[in-house]
Amino acid sequence: MREISVLTDVALITCVVQRGYAETIIEAARGAGAQGATVHFARGVGVRERLGILGVAVEVEKEVINIVVSSDQVDRVFEKMYLAGKLDTPGMGIMYITPVDKAATYIPPDVLDRLSGEGASRSAEPGGSS
Amino acid sequence: MGQKIRFGDFVREVRINQKFVSYNDLTPQPEYDAEGREIPYVPPKVQLRRVDITRILAPYISERLIAQIKGVVPLALYLMLFQIFILRQTVLDHWVILWGLLAVIIGLMIFLEGLKLGLMPFGELIGHSLPKKSKLPVVLLIGFLLGIGVTFAEPAIGALQTVGSMVSVERAPYLYAILNHWSGTLVLMVGIGVGLATVLGTMRFLYGWSLKPIIYLTLVPTLGLTLYCMSDPELAKILGLAWDCGAVTTGPVTVPLVLSLGIGIASSAGKGNSSLSGFGIVTLASLFPIVAVMALAIFLSQHTTPDAIILAAQSLAAGQAGLVWYEATPGLEIVGGIRAIVPLVIFLFFVLVVILKEKVRDPGIVAYGLFLAVLGMIIFSLGLSYGLAKLGSQSGNLIPGAFTQLEHIKNSPLFDYRIGILVAVTFAWILGFGATLAEPALNALGLVVENLTNGAFKKSMLMIAVSVGVGCGIALGVVKIIYEIPIGALILPLYLIGAVLTFLSSEEFVNVAWDSAGVTTGPVTVPLVLAMGLGFGDAVSAVEGFGILSMASIGPIISVLVTGLWIRSRTS
Repeated sequence: MREISVLTDVALITCVVQRGYAETIIEAARGAGAQGATVHFARGVGVRERLGILGVAVEVEKEVINIVVSSDQVDRVFEKMYLAGKLDTPGMGIMYITPVDKAATYIPPDVLDRLSGEGASRSAEPGGSS
Repeated sequence: MGQKIRFGDFVREVRINQKFVSYNDLTPQPEYDAEGREIPYVPPKVQLRRVDITRILAPYISERLIAQIKGVVPLALYLMLFQIFILRQTVLDHWVILWGLLAVIIGLMIFLEGLKLGLMPFGELIGHSLPKKSKLPVVLLIGFLLGIGVTFAEPAIGALQTVGSMVSVERAPYLYAILNHWSGTLVLMVGIGVGLATVLGTMRFLYGWSLKPIIYLTLVPTLGLTLYCMSDPELAKILGLAWDCGAVTTGPVTVPLVLSLGIGIASSAGKGNSSLSGFGIVTLASLFPIVAVMALAIFLSQHTTPDAIILAAQSLAAGQAGLVWYEATPGLEIVGGIRAIVPLVIFLFFVLVVILKEKVRDPGIVAYGLFLAVLGMIIFSLGLSYGLAKLGSQSGNLIPGAFTQLEHIKNSPLFDYRIGILVAVTFAWILGFGATLAEPALNALGLVVENLTNGAFKKSMLMIAVSVGVGCGIALGVVKIIYEIPIGALILPLYLIGAVLTFLSSEEFVNVAWDSAGVTTGPVTVPLVLAMGLGFGDAVSAVEGFGILSMASIGPIISVLVTGLWIRSRTS
């Protein structure tokens, strides 16, 4: 039987920003410990129309950043991304966290070996909460 | 033992100061009118504090400003530093030039934003829906007219009029007449050339023609007319201008608008398959105007004589006591800016509303974009005359002092004759190389080419090949002016070499190479190089200083084709 390793305690951060801003935000997220990111292009509607003449300064084309992080780091990464993207400015974008049930990807074998030794105690109490 | 706390919860409490607001408190409640129907919700305008406005505008403006500063400042700095440190001359009128350059930066920034918001939506919409709603002849006619319209709106085209006043009427009467009295006709002829190129390029899109035979067929009349003009000493003087016009046309307005039409047609016909379909129009748009301008000159030569032109110019100069407001400085640029943009807009609007019966999306933003385009064009034209043209002609005027005796430079020649020539040619080479390498369009082309050739032709390699080609071309152009080599003697063999290389190369490289000439001549480089050439020619008493740009066009064609052949021989 083949065994696959499935990750738990995973969260997804999605961040929608104007085109061209994704790079700095991903840089900040990686600096806070995020492993990687997926970016796709999209078109946004909403705040641009409500800003009146200043709406021309808001790019219609957006970049949607998806970052999968562990539930321990999610708040830290979220905060770093918020600050790096200057999301407290009108028209800059929106971001949100979605709980993720399970995730699976490549995990280096040596990491798996190490976890099977010491991590057994941790997986015994799911979520790790008190 | 204390309570066990999850690390994530601990981090949240300690490091992050989050205030929680329920989204339910922010979203509106549905409202009903008297009959119980729901009233659609209309969001109110966002109330902005001053800090928010600056936060929105700061990145919007700075990003676009920096892009233009990158294009203008290094070039201008290079010219000025060369003048101060190598030639040891102060920059005359430096305040005027600085203000002029500032106007160029701001004008281009505003113009390009206006182009994106105001003109491109038209182009995309028309390119998308015109082929579906109209028959092919109508589409091609509109493409032809669009080619003329975009030529008038091209910012660099104003440079022709600006440098036209630097030409001496006695020495090159036809050139003077074309650039001054016939300047509108000149732009129209160039536009007709671009229009025909659009038509042919679009048909190439549709039928998937190979570019090679089109190039051969275009080169035959172009080189033939060149030979004809060379045989007449008066007509030979306009050849430099004619060949330079090809380089002037392929700028930031023509390329995207014409391409969006062509690609729209090709994709709606279901034949926009090849990644090469974006190529070719630029090549044709830089070759056809050459034919058109030569035809105009030949027409002119049959209807008027050089003596008549000189006489007319002298009587005009004598009667030129007071200029009307629209011929004096701010008025001239304002009228010019409006004349450049408004006809194109009216034409696009007419096509959209009358022929396609489509509505403009976001009319407010489009109107704002058009306003910006006109405003930017006006500011850019001001900067063109007072910044770029002035700086270019001044540098061009002083550089010959490196190797020859000039009245306006003390202790000239500054260097030994041979070293002086070397200094001048090296200056020109670095100017071409640097200006090209910094051109953003080249970077984009490099990426396309790398994808197209599956990485065989590296982006950096293309960029260097093109830049070396332009550098050598501009250096050759300077040599041409110093030794008064007739331009035909350079053009004919170089284009013949280009044709032979084209015959040897594969289709992809041919497309890339012939188009690379067009991307390198932006709205900053063109006026600077044109004015430099004229100033240079003036200082060494050459008849005319055109032709540098045309050398800068054929240079990269040859260098890219050679690089392509080298890559192929290495990989096979």
